[in-house]
Amino acid sequence: MADQIVSQFGRLGYDVDRDEVIKRLKLLVLEFKVPEGEAVRTVRNWVIKEYEIPREKVISESPLVKIEEIKKPGEWVSLKAKVVQLWDSSSPSVSQVGLVGDETGIIKFVIWAKSGKGEVEEGKSYLFKNVVTDSFQGRMQINIGRTSEIVEIDEEVPSPREIEIVGALVSIQQNSGLIQRCGSCHRVMTKGICPIHGKVRGYDDLRVKGVLDDGDNFYEIILNEDNIRDLTGIDLNKAKRIASERLDRNAVLSELKKLLLGRYYKVVGVRGGRYLLVRKVDRIGGVEGSEVDRLLEVLA
Amino acid sequence: MNFRKREVARRVFAYELNRSTYRFPKEDEKSPTYVLTPLGMRVNRVYFVGALLDKDEIKPDSGIWRIRVSDPTSAVYGYVSRFQPDALESLMEIDVPELVAVVGKVRNFEVGARIFVSLRPEYVSPVESDVRDYWVYETARQTIDRIRAMEKKEDDDCKLAWQIYNPNLNEYRQMVKQALLSLKEGFVVEGEEGEEIEFEEEFEFEEEEWDLSDILKD
Repeated sequence: MADQIVSQFGRLGYDVDRDEVIKRLKLLVLEFKVPEGEAVRTVRNWVIKEYEIPREKVISESPLVKIEEIKKPGEWVSLKAKVVQLWDSSSPSVSQVGLVGDETGIIKFVIWAKSGKGEVEEGKSYLFKNVVTDSFQGRMQINIGRTSEIVEIDEEVPSPREIEIVGALVSIQQNSGLIQRCGSCHRVMTKGICPIHGKVRGYDDLRVKGVLDDGDNFYEIILNEDNIRDLTGIDLNKAKRIASERLDRNAVLSELKKLLLGRYYKVVGVRGGRYLLVRKVDRIGGVEGSEVDRLLEVLA
Repeated sequence: MNFRKREVARRVFAYELNRSTYRFPKEDEKSPTYVLTPLGMRVNRVYFVGALLDKDEIKPDSGIWRIRVSDPTSAVYGYVSRFQPDALESLMEIDVPELVAVVGKVRNFEVGARIFVSLRPEYVSPVESDVRDYWVYETARQTIDRIRAMEKKEDDDCKLAWQIYNPNLNEYRQMVKQALLSLKEGFVVEGEEGEEIEFEEEFEFEEEEWDLSDILKD
Protein backbone atom coordinates (compact mmCIF):
# COMPACT_ATOMS: atom_id res chain seq x y z
CA MET A 1 0.00 0.00 0.00
CA ALA A 2 2.68 2.44 1.08
CA ASP A 3 4.91 1.69 -1.90
CA GLN A 4 1.97 2.18 -4.23
CA ILE A 5 1.48 5.69 -2.87
CA VAL A 6 5.21 6.50 -2.85
CA SER A 7 5.71 5.34 -6.43
CA GLN A 8 2.58 7.10 -7.65
CA PHE A 9 3.88 10.45 -6.43
CA GLY A 10 7.44 9.52 -7.39
CA ARG A 11 6.32 9.34 -11.01
CA LEU A 12 4.95 12.85 -10.66
CA GLY A 13 8.34 14.04 -9.40
CA TYR A 14 7.69 14.18 -5.67
CA ASP A 15 9.92 12.41 -3.18
CA VAL A 16 7.45 11.37 -0.50
CA ASP A 17 8.65 10.32 2.95
CA ARG A 18 7.97 6.57 2.98
CA ASP A 19 8.20 6.13 6.76
CA GLU A 20 5.68 8.87 7.32
CA VAL A 21 3.27 7.24 4.84
CA ILE A 22 3.64 3.87 6.59
CA LYS A 23 3.10 5.46 10.00
CA ARG A 24 -0.12 7.13 8.87
CA LEU A 25 -1.45 4.04 7.12
CA LYS A 26 -0.73 1.90 10.18
CA LEU A 27 -2.54 4.33 12.43
CA LEU A 28 -5.62 4.35 10.22
CA VAL A 29 -5.78 0.65 9.45
CA LEU A 30 -4.54 -0.97 12.66
CA GLU A 31 -5.57 1.57 15.25
CA PHE A 32 -8.73 3.11 13.82
CA LYS A 33 -9.83 0.04 11.80
CA VAL A 34 -10.50 2.11 8.71
CA PRO A 35 -10.97 0.09 5.49
CA GLU A 36 -7.83 -0.06 3.33
CA GLY A 37 -9.29 1.92 0.45
CA GLU A 38 -10.34 4.75 2.74
CA ALA A 39 -6.94 4.76 4.43
CA VAL A 40 -5.10 4.99 1.12
CA ARG A 41 -7.37 7.80 0.00
CA THR A 42 -6.84 9.71 3.23
CA VAL A 43 -3.06 9.38 3.10
CA ARG A 44 -3.06 10.35 -0.57
CA ASN A 45 -5.01 13.49 0.23
CA TRP A 46 -2.58 14.25 3.06
CA VAL A 47 0.39 13.91 0.66
CA ILE A 48 -1.28 16.23 -1.85
CA LYS A 49 -1.78 18.88 0.84
CA GLU A 50 1.58 18.37 2.54
CA TYR A 51 3.63 18.62 -0.66
CA GLU A 52 1.33 21.24 -2.21
CA ILE A 53 0.79 19.15 -5.32
CA PRO A 54 -1.49 20.90 -7.83
CA ARG A 55 -4.75 19.04 -8.45
CA GLU A 56 -4.28 18.85 -12.24
CA LYS A 57 -1.11 16.81 -11.78
CA VAL A 58 -2.93 14.17 -9.75
CA ILE A 59 -5.79 14.08 -12.21
CA SER A 60 -3.55 13.44 -15.18
CA GLU A 61 -2.48 10.30 -13.38
CA SER A 62 -5.51 8.21 -14.42
CA PRO A 63 -4.45 5.88 -17.27
CA LEU A 64 -5.64 6.23 -20.86
CA VAL A 65 -7.79 3.22 -21.73
CA LYS A 66 -9.85 1.82 -24.59
CA ILE A 67 -13.54 1.22 -24.04
CA GLU A 68 -13.28 -2.58 -24.21
CA GLU A 69 -10.85 -2.47 -21.26
CA ILE A 70 -13.46 -0.93 -18.99
CA LYS A 71 -14.79 -3.88 -17.06
CA LYS A 72 -14.72 -2.98 -13.38
CA PRO A 73 -16.62 -0.25 -11.55
CA GLY A 74 -14.92 2.33 -9.36
CA GLU A 75 -11.78 2.88 -11.44
CA TRP A 76 -10.41 6.24 -12.52
CA VAL A 77 -9.59 6.31 -16.20
CA SER A 78 -9.16 8.65 -19.16
CA LEU A 79 -10.31 7.89 -22.67
CA LYS A 80 -10.46 9.35 -26.13
CA ALA A 81 -13.90 8.79 -27.58
CA LYS A 82 -16.48 10.11 -29.98
CA VAL A 83 -19.97 11.08 -28.85
CA VAL A 84 -22.15 8.62 -30.75
CA GLN A 85 -25.54 9.49 -29.38
CA LEU A 86 -27.11 11.87 -26.90
CA TRP A 87 -30.19 10.69 -25.05
CA ASP A 88 -32.97 12.47 -23.27
CA SER A 89 -31.98 12.95 -19.68
CA SER A 90 -34.82 12.03 -17.39
CA SER A 91 -33.30 13.55 -14.27
CA PRO A 92 -32.47 17.18 -13.47
CA SER A 93 -29.27 16.05 -11.72
CA VAL A 94 -27.91 14.76 -15.03
CA SER A 95 -26.76 17.40 -17.48
CA GLN A 96 -26.08 15.03 -20.39
CA VAL A 97 -26.35 11.32 -20.98
CA GLY A 98 -25.66 9.16 -24.03
CA LEU A 99 -23.11 6.94 -25.65
CA VAL A 100 -19.48 7.45 -26.57
CA GLY A 101 -17.49 5.09 -28.75
CA ASP A 102 -14.00 4.27 -29.94
CA GLU A 103 -12.77 1.53 -32.28
CA THR A 104 -13.18 -1.10 -29.55
CA GLY A 105 -16.76 -0.43 -28.48
CA ILE A 106 -19.37 1.82 -27.05
CA ILE A 107 -20.15 2.84 -23.48
CA LYS A 108 -22.78 4.93 -21.76
CA PHE A 109 -21.64 8.20 -20.24
CA VAL A 110 -23.26 10.46 -17.68
CA ILE A 111 -22.29 14.09 -17.15
CA TRP A 112 -23.61 15.10 -13.77
CA ALA A 113 -25.14 18.56 -13.55
CA LYS A 114 -23.10 19.20 -10.39
CA SER A 115 -19.86 18.71 -12.35
CA GLY A 116 -20.42 22.01 -14.14
CA LYS A 117 -18.76 20.63 -17.29
CA GLY A 118 -19.55 22.00 -20.71
CA GLU A 119 -21.91 20.25 -23.09
CA VAL A 120 -20.64 17.72 -25.62
CA GLU A 121 -21.92 17.44 -29.18
CA GLU A 122 -22.91 14.40 -31.18
CA GLY A 123 -20.27 13.33 -33.70
CA LYS A 124 -17.38 15.20 -32.03
CA SER A 125 -14.36 13.54 -30.43
CA TYR A 126 -13.15 14.36 -26.93
CA LEU A 127 -10.54 13.42 -24.38
CA PHE A 128 -12.45 12.47 -21.23
CA LYS A 129 -9.93 12.92 -18.44
CA ASN A 130 -10.23 11.38 -15.03
CA VAL A 131 -13.68 9.87 -15.26
CA VAL A 132 -14.86 7.12 -12.96
CA THR A 133 -16.20 3.78 -14.17
CA ASP A 134 -19.46 2.56 -12.75
CA SER A 135 -21.93 -0.23 -13.27
CA PHE A 136 -25.64 0.41 -13.59
CA GLN A 137 -28.18 -2.38 -14.05
CA GLY A 138 -25.40 -4.78 -14.90
CA ARG A 139 -23.78 -2.64 -17.60
CA MET A 140 -20.67 -0.47 -17.47
CA GLN A 141 -20.78 3.29 -17.80
CA ILE A 142 -18.51 6.26 -17.14
CA ASN A 143 -19.38 9.15 -14.87
CA ILE A 144 -18.09 12.65 -15.46
CA GLY A 145 -17.89 14.55 -12.21
CA ARG A 146 -16.36 17.63 -10.67
CA THR A 147 -12.75 16.44 -10.93
CA SER A 148 -13.15 15.22 -14.51
CA GLU A 149 -12.20 17.15 -17.60
CA ILE A 150 -13.63 17.14 -21.11
CA VAL A 151 -11.31 18.41 -23.83
CA GLU A 152 -12.39 18.53 -27.46
CA ILE A 153 -9.72 17.02 -29.70
CA ASP A 154 -8.97 17.54 -33.40
CA GLU A 155 -8.28 13.91 -34.21
CA GLU A 156 -11.33 11.88 -35.19
CA VAL A 157 -11.73 8.81 -33.01
CA PRO A 158 -12.66 5.85 -35.26
CA SER A 159 -16.15 4.42 -34.99
CA PRO A 160 -16.78 0.88 -33.83
CA ARG A 161 -17.53 -1.76 -36.42
CA GLU A 162 -21.09 -1.85 -37.71
CA ILE A 163 -23.18 -4.97 -37.48
CA GLU A 164 -26.29 -6.14 -39.25
CA ILE A 165 -29.18 -7.64 -37.33
CA VAL A 166 -32.28 -9.28 -38.75
CA GLY A 167 -35.00 -9.53 -36.17
CA ALA A 168 -38.67 -9.11 -35.42
CA LEU A 169 -39.96 -5.94 -33.79
CA VAL A 170 -41.56 -7.53 -30.72
CA SER A 171 -42.32 -4.45 -28.65
CA ILE A 172 -42.86 -0.71 -29.03
CA GLN A 173 -42.45 1.30 -25.87
CA GLN A 174 -44.89 3.80 -24.45
CA ASN A 175 -42.92 7.00 -25.06
CA SER A 176 -43.04 6.47 -28.82
CA GLY A 177 -45.11 8.00 -31.60
CA LEU A 178 -45.89 11.69 -31.79
CA ILE A 179 -43.87 13.14 -28.93
CA GLN A 180 -42.99 16.63 -27.73
CA ARG A 181 -39.48 17.84 -27.12
CA CYS A 182 -38.34 20.79 -25.02
CA GLY A 183 -37.50 23.81 -27.17
CA SER A 184 -34.27 24.53 -25.31
CA CYS A 185 -32.78 21.12 -24.47
CA HIS A 186 -34.56 18.74 -26.91
CA ARG A 187 -35.48 16.34 -24.11
CA VAL A 188 -38.73 14.44 -24.43
CA MET A 189 -41.49 16.11 -22.42
CA THR A 190 -44.26 14.32 -20.55
CA LYS A 191 -47.64 16.04 -20.46
CA GLY A 192 -46.09 19.30 -21.62
CA ILE A 193 -43.42 19.32 -18.91
CA CYS A 194 -39.68 19.16 -19.54
CA PRO A 195 -37.74 17.37 -16.78
CA ILE A 196 -35.25 20.26 -16.66
CA HIS A 197 -37.10 23.38 -17.75
CA GLY A 198 -40.58 22.63 -16.47
CA LYS A 199 -43.60 23.94 -18.33
CA VAL A 200 -42.21 25.27 -21.61
CA ARG A 201 -43.18 25.44 -25.25
CA GLY A 202 -42.20 22.24 -26.97
CA TYR A 203 -42.02 21.10 -30.54
CA ASP A 204 -43.37 17.91 -32.13
CA ASP A 205 -41.21 14.99 -33.15
CA LEU A 206 -41.78 11.45 -34.33
CA ARG A 207 -39.88 8.48 -32.97
CA VAL A 208 -40.20 4.82 -32.09
CA LYS A 209 -38.40 3.17 -29.21
CA GLY A 210 -38.69 -0.55 -29.72
CA VAL A 211 -37.24 -3.98 -29.19
CA LEU A 212 -35.78 -5.98 -32.08
CA ASP A 213 -35.47 -9.68 -31.28
CA ASP A 214 -33.66 -12.31 -33.38
CA GLY A 215 -34.49 -15.30 -31.18
CA ASP A 216 -31.08 -15.31 -29.49
CA ASN A 217 -30.73 -11.70 -28.37
CA PHE A 218 -32.71 -8.52 -28.23
CA TYR A 219 -31.67 -5.00 -29.06
CA GLU A 220 -33.35 -1.79 -28.11
CA ILE A 221 -33.58 0.44 -31.12
CA ILE A 222 -34.68 4.00 -31.69
CA LEU A 223 -36.16 4.91 -35.06
CA ASN A 224 -36.23 8.57 -36.02
CA GLU A 225 -38.65 10.42 -38.29
CA ASP A 226 -36.74 9.47 -41.47
CA ASN A 227 -36.71 5.76 -40.55
CA ILE A 228 -40.42 5.85 -39.69
CA ARG A 229 -41.34 7.63 -42.93
CA ASP A 230 -39.37 5.13 -45.01
CA LEU A 231 -41.05 2.17 -43.33
CA THR A 232 -44.63 3.40 -42.94
CA GLY A 233 -45.14 6.44 -45.13
CA ILE A 234 -46.06 8.43 -42.02
CA ASP A 235 -44.01 11.59 -41.59
CA LEU A 236 -44.34 14.29 -38.97
CA ASN A 237 -47.04 16.19 -40.88
CA LYS A 238 -49.12 13.12 -41.47
CA ALA A 239 -48.71 12.14 -37.81
CA LYS A 240 -50.01 15.56 -36.74
CA ARG A 241 -52.94 15.16 -39.09
CA ILE A 242 -53.80 11.76 -37.61
CA ALA A 243 -53.61 13.24 -34.11
CA SER A 244 -55.86 16.19 -34.91
CA GLU A 245 -58.39 14.12 -36.86
CA ARG A 246 -58.83 11.69 -33.99
CA LEU A 247 -58.30 14.32 -31.29
CA ASP A 248 -55.72 12.02 -29.72
CA ARG A 249 -51.93 12.06 -29.99
CA ASN A 250 -51.89 8.40 -28.94
CA ALA A 251 -53.70 7.52 -32.17
CA VAL A 252 -50.33 7.91 -33.91
CA LEU A 253 -48.75 5.35 -31.60
CA SER A 254 -51.60 2.87 -32.21
CA GLU A 255 -51.24 3.36 -35.95
CA LEU A 256 -47.47 2.84 -35.85
CA LYS A 257 -47.88 -0.27 -33.70
CA LYS A 258 -50.33 -1.66 -36.23
CA LEU A 259 -47.92 -1.03 -39.12
CA LEU A 260 -44.63 -2.02 -37.50
CA LEU A 261 -45.13 -4.62 -34.76
CA GLY A 262 -44.53 -8.26 -35.53
CA ARG A 263 -42.62 -7.64 -38.78
CA TYR A 264 -39.01 -8.45 -39.62
CA TYR A 265 -36.44 -5.75 -40.18
CA LYS A 266 -32.81 -5.63 -41.17
CA VAL A 267 -31.01 -3.02 -39.13
CA VAL A 268 -27.47 -1.80 -39.72
CA GLY A 269 -25.82 -0.04 -36.85
CA VAL A 270 -23.42 -0.09 -33.98
CA ARG A 271 -23.93 -2.26 -30.95
CA GLY A 272 -23.60 -0.56 -27.59
CA GLY A 273 -24.53 -2.79 -24.70
CA ARG A 274 -28.12 -3.79 -25.27
CA TYR A 275 -28.68 -0.89 -27.64
CA LEU A 276 -28.34 -0.94 -31.37
CA LEU A 277 -27.77 2.48 -32.86
CA VAL A 278 -29.66 2.45 -36.09
CA ARG A 279 -28.10 3.90 -39.22
CA LYS A 280 -30.24 2.07 -41.73
CA VAL A 281 -33.40 0.00 -41.43
CA ASP A 282 -35.21 -2.06 -44.08
CA ARG A 283 -38.25 -4.30 -44.01
CA ILE A 284 -37.51 -7.97 -44.80
CA GLY A 285 -39.73 -9.09 -47.66
CA GLY A 286 -39.99 -12.85 -47.37
CA VAL A 287 -37.29 -15.42 -47.98
CA GLU A 288 -35.34 -16.54 -51.04
CA GLY A 289 -36.19 -19.96 -52.44
CA SER A 290 -32.47 -20.81 -52.51
CA GLU A 291 -32.23 -20.26 -48.74
CA VAL A 292 -35.08 -22.71 -48.20
CA ASP A 293 -33.36 -25.24 -50.49
CA ARG A 294 -30.13 -24.87 -48.54
CA LEU A 295 -31.90 -25.81 -45.29
CA LEU A 296 -33.66 -28.71 -46.98
CA GLU A 297 -30.25 -30.02 -48.09
CA VAL A 298 -28.98 -29.80 -44.51
CA LEU A 299 -31.90 -31.98 -43.44
CA ALA A 300 -31.45 -34.56 -46.20
CA MET B 1 -32.36 -2.53 -7.34
CA ASN B 2 -33.49 -5.92 -8.52
CA PHE B 3 -33.12 -5.64 -12.27
CA ARG B 4 -34.36 -8.42 -14.46
CA LYS B 5 -33.25 -8.68 -18.04
CA ARG B 6 -35.93 -8.82 -20.71
CA GLU B 7 -36.66 -12.33 -21.95
CA VAL B 8 -35.75 -13.13 -25.56
CA ALA B 9 -38.68 -14.22 -27.74
CA ARG B 10 -37.80 -17.74 -28.96
CA ARG B 11 -38.79 -19.25 -32.30
CA VAL B 12 -40.47 -22.62 -31.92
CA PHE B 13 -42.86 -24.50 -34.20
CA ALA B 14 -46.17 -25.40 -32.57
CA TYR B 15 -45.29 -29.09 -32.87
CA GLU B 16 -42.30 -28.67 -30.54
CA LEU B 17 -44.04 -26.11 -28.33
CA ASN B 18 -47.10 -28.27 -27.65
CA ARG B 19 -44.81 -31.00 -26.33
CA SER B 20 -42.96 -28.70 -23.92
CA THR B 21 -44.64 -30.03 -20.81
CA TYR B 22 -41.73 -29.72 -18.39
CA ARG B 23 -41.71 -26.55 -16.31
CA PHE B 24 -38.56 -25.53 -14.44
CA PRO B 25 -39.00 -25.05 -10.69
CA LYS B 26 -39.08 -21.35 -9.79
CA GLU B 27 -36.08 -19.96 -7.96
CA ASP B 28 -38.27 -17.48 -6.09
CA GLU B 29 -41.73 -15.91 -6.21
CA LYS B 30 -40.80 -13.32 -8.80
CA SER B 31 -38.58 -15.33 -11.10
CA PRO B 32 -39.91 -15.93 -14.61
CA THR B 33 -41.45 -19.24 -15.63
CA TYR B 34 -39.49 -21.35 -18.09
CA VAL B 35 -40.55 -24.48 -19.87
CA LEU B 36 -38.16 -26.92 -21.52
CA THR B 37 -38.83 -27.93 -25.12
CA PRO B 38 -38.15 -31.50 -26.31
CA LEU B 39 -35.13 -30.12 -28.19
CA GLY B 40 -33.55 -28.70 -25.04
CA MET B 41 -34.43 -25.01 -25.17
CA ARG B 42 -35.52 -23.01 -22.16
CA VAL B 43 -38.44 -20.81 -23.14
CA ASN B 44 -40.32 -18.03 -21.40
CA ARG B 45 -41.44 -15.86 -24.32
CA VAL B 46 -42.06 -16.74 -27.95
CA TYR B 47 -42.62 -14.88 -31.20
CA PHE B 48 -45.00 -16.96 -33.28
CA VAL B 49 -46.48 -16.39 -36.73
CA GLY B 50 -49.39 -18.37 -38.08
CA ALA B 51 -53.01 -18.43 -39.10
CA LEU B 52 -55.49 -17.33 -36.44
CA LEU B 53 -58.15 -19.99 -36.94
CA ASP B 54 -60.53 -19.42 -34.04
CA LYS B 55 -61.27 -16.82 -31.45
CA ASP B 56 -64.02 -17.67 -29.01
CA GLU B 57 -65.08 -16.21 -25.73
CA ILE B 58 -64.87 -19.25 -23.45
CA LYS B 59 -68.11 -18.29 -21.66
CA PRO B 60 -70.48 -15.48 -22.61
CA ASP B 61 -69.37 -12.21 -20.97
CA SER B 62 -66.36 -13.82 -19.30
CA GLY B 63 -64.00 -11.49 -21.16
CA ILE B 64 -61.62 -14.41 -21.65
CA TRP B 65 -60.94 -15.37 -25.24
CA ARG B 66 -59.44 -18.58 -26.48
CA ILE B 67 -57.51 -18.35 -29.71
CA ARG B 68 -56.08 -21.08 -31.92
CA VAL B 69 -53.14 -20.22 -34.15
CA SER B 70 -51.59 -22.64 -36.59
CA ASP B 71 -48.21 -22.82 -38.27
CA PRO B 72 -47.40 -25.46 -40.93
CA THR B 73 -46.76 -28.09 -38.21
CA SER B 74 -49.65 -27.76 -35.70
CA ALA B 75 -51.92 -25.36 -33.89
CA VAL B 76 -51.28 -23.81 -30.51
CA TYR B 77 -53.84 -22.37 -28.11
CA GLY B 78 -53.72 -19.01 -26.43
CA TYR B 79 -55.80 -17.18 -23.86
CA VAL B 80 -56.38 -13.45 -23.86
CA SER B 81 -58.14 -11.50 -21.14
CA ARG B 82 -58.34 -8.00 -19.75
CA PHE B 83 -54.92 -8.60 -18.18
CA GLN B 84 -53.48 -8.28 -21.71
CA PRO B 85 -55.17 -5.05 -22.86
CA ASP B 86 -53.02 -4.55 -25.98
CA ALA B 87 -53.61 -8.09 -27.21
CA LEU B 88 -57.32 -7.91 -26.41
CA GLU B 89 -57.75 -4.61 -28.23
CA SER B 90 -56.11 -5.82 -31.43
CA LEU B 91 -57.80 -9.22 -31.25
CA MET B 92 -61.24 -7.58 -31.23
CA GLU B 93 -60.47 -5.96 -34.60
CA ILE B 94 -59.40 -9.20 -36.30
CA ASP B 95 -61.77 -11.47 -38.23
CA VAL B 96 -60.77 -15.11 -38.51
CA PRO B 97 -59.06 -16.60 -40.39
CA GLU B 98 -56.19 -14.14 -40.55
CA LEU B 99 -52.41 -14.35 -40.61
CA VAL B 100 -51.08 -13.00 -37.31
CA ALA B 101 -47.87 -12.48 -35.36
CA VAL B 102 -48.13 -13.24 -31.66
CA VAL B 103 -45.62 -12.33 -28.98
CA GLY B 104 -46.45 -14.02 -25.74
CA LYS B 105 -45.44 -15.97 -22.68
CA VAL B 106 -45.61 -19.73 -22.61
CA ARG B 107 -47.80 -21.21 -19.91
CA ASN B 108 -48.54 -24.78 -19.15
CA PHE B 109 -51.37 -26.08 -17.05
CA GLU B 110 -52.60 -29.45 -15.93
CA VAL B 111 -55.98 -30.97 -16.62
CA GLY B 112 -56.21 -34.29 -14.88
CA ALA B 113 -53.17 -36.24 -15.93
CA ARG B 114 -52.49 -34.15 -19.04
CA ILE B 115 -50.35 -31.07 -19.31
CA PHE B 116 -51.38 -28.52 -21.89
CA VAL B 117 -49.19 -25.81 -23.31
CA SER B 118 -50.70 -22.44 -24.16
CA LEU B 119 -49.70 -18.91 -25.00
CA ARG B 120 -50.54 -15.76 -23.09
CA PRO B 121 -50.19 -13.14 -25.84
CA GLU B 122 -48.79 -9.70 -25.17
CA TYR B 123 -50.04 -8.66 -28.56
CA VAL B 124 -51.67 -10.16 -31.63
CA SER B 125 -51.04 -8.32 -34.85
CA PRO B 126 -52.27 -9.07 -38.40
CA VAL B 127 -49.26 -9.48 -40.71
CA GLU B 128 -48.49 -10.07 -44.36
CA SER B 129 -47.58 -13.48 -45.82
CA ASP B 130 -43.91 -12.53 -46.31
CA VAL B 131 -43.62 -12.26 -42.51
CA ARG B 132 -44.96 -15.81 -42.17
CA ASP B 133 -42.52 -17.04 -44.84
CA TYR B 134 -39.54 -15.53 -43.10
CA TRP B 135 -40.72 -16.83 -39.72
CA VAL B 136 -41.01 -20.41 -41.02
CA TYR B 137 -37.54 -20.14 -42.55
CA GLU B 138 -35.99 -18.63 -39.42
CA THR B 139 -37.74 -21.07 -37.08
CA ALA B 140 -36.61 -23.98 -39.27
CA ARG B 141 -33.02 -22.73 -39.09
CA GLN B 142 -33.08 -22.34 -35.31
CA THR B 143 -34.79 -25.71 -34.85
CA ILE B 144 -32.06 -27.36 -36.94
CA ASP B 145 -29.49 -25.75 -34.63
CA ARG B 146 -31.29 -27.27 -31.65
CA ILE B 147 -31.39 -30.70 -33.27
CA ARG B 148 -27.61 -30.46 -33.73
CA ALA B 149 -27.11 -29.46 -30.11
CA MET B 150 -29.24 -32.44 -29.07
CA GLU B 151 -26.99 -34.73 -31.13
CA LYS B 152 -23.94 -33.42 -29.27
CA LYS B 153 -25.55 -33.86 -25.83
CA GLU B 154 -23.15 -31.33 -24.27
CA ASP B 155 -25.48 -28.64 -23.02
CA ASP B 156 -27.14 -29.18 -19.60
CA ASP B 157 -30.60 -28.35 -20.92
CA CYS B 158 -30.08 -30.81 -23.79
CA LYS B 159 -29.12 -33.53 -21.33
CA LEU B 160 -32.24 -32.75 -19.32
CA ALA B 161 -34.38 -32.89 -22.49
CA TRP B 162 -32.99 -36.34 -23.33
CA GLN B 163 -33.78 -37.47 -19.81
CA ILE B 164 -37.33 -36.09 -19.75
CA TYR B 165 -38.52 -36.45 -23.34
CA ASN B 166 -36.07 -38.86 -25.03
CA PRO B 167 -37.12 -37.34 -28.38
CA ASN B 168 -36.93 -39.06 -31.74
CA LEU B 169 -34.81 -36.51 -33.62
CA ASN B 170 -35.92 -37.86 -36.99
CA GLU B 171 -39.48 -36.96 -36.14
CA TYR B 172 -38.36 -33.35 -35.61
CA ARG B 173 -36.25 -33.32 -38.79
CA GLN B 174 -39.34 -34.49 -40.65
CA MET B 175 -41.41 -31.74 -39.04
CA VAL B 176 -38.92 -29.05 -40.09
CA LYS B 177 -38.79 -30.46 -43.59
CA GLN B 178 -42.55 -30.35 -43.89
CA ALA B 179 -42.62 -26.75 -42.69
CA LEU B 180 -39.97 -25.75 -45.24
CA LEU B 181 -41.72 -27.58 -48.06
CA SER B 182 -44.85 -25.55 -47.34
CA LEU B 183 -42.90 -22.50 -48.51
CA LYS B 184 -42.20 -24.01 -51.90
CA GLU B 185 -44.43 -22.95 -54.72
CA GLY B 186 -47.12 -25.39 -55.79
CA PHE B 187 -46.72 -27.38 -52.61
CA VAL B 188 -49.57 -29.81 -51.95
CA VAL B 189 -49.91 -31.46 -48.58
CA GLU B 190 -51.78 -34.48 -49.87
CA GLY B 191 -50.06 -36.95 -52.14
CA GLU B 192 -46.58 -35.91 -50.99
CA GLU B 193 -44.22 -38.80 -51.08
CA GLY B 194 -42.20 -39.80 -48.06
CA GLU B 195 -43.23 -40.15 -44.46
CA GLU B 196 -45.83 -37.79 -43.14
CA ILE B 197 -45.58 -36.97 -39.51
CA GLU B 198 -48.46 -38.07 -37.39
CA PHE B 199 -50.11 -35.06 -35.87
CA GLU B 200 -51.45 -35.47 -32.40
CA GLU B 201 -55.18 -35.86 -32.01
CA GLU B 202 -57.16 -32.73 -31.44
CA PHE B 203 -57.95 -32.23 -27.81
CA GLU B 204 -61.21 -30.79 -26.69
CA PHE B 205 -61.95 -29.51 -23.25
CA GLU B 206 -64.27 -27.25 -21.36
CA GLU B 207 -62.51 -24.34 -19.72
CA GLU B 208 -65.31 -23.73 -17.25
CA GLU B 209 -64.14 -26.77 -15.36
CA TRP B 210 -60.89 -25.28 -14.20
CA ASP B 211 -59.29 -22.15 -12.99
CA LEU B 212 -57.61 -20.10 -15.70
CA SER B 213 -56.29 -17.37 -13.44
CA ASP B 214 -52.86 -18.99 -13.32
CA ILE B 215 -52.26 -18.80 -17.06
CA LEU B 216 -53.70 -15.33 -17.47
CA LYS B 217 -51.96 -13.40 -14.75
CA ASP B 218 -48.30 -12.94 -13.91
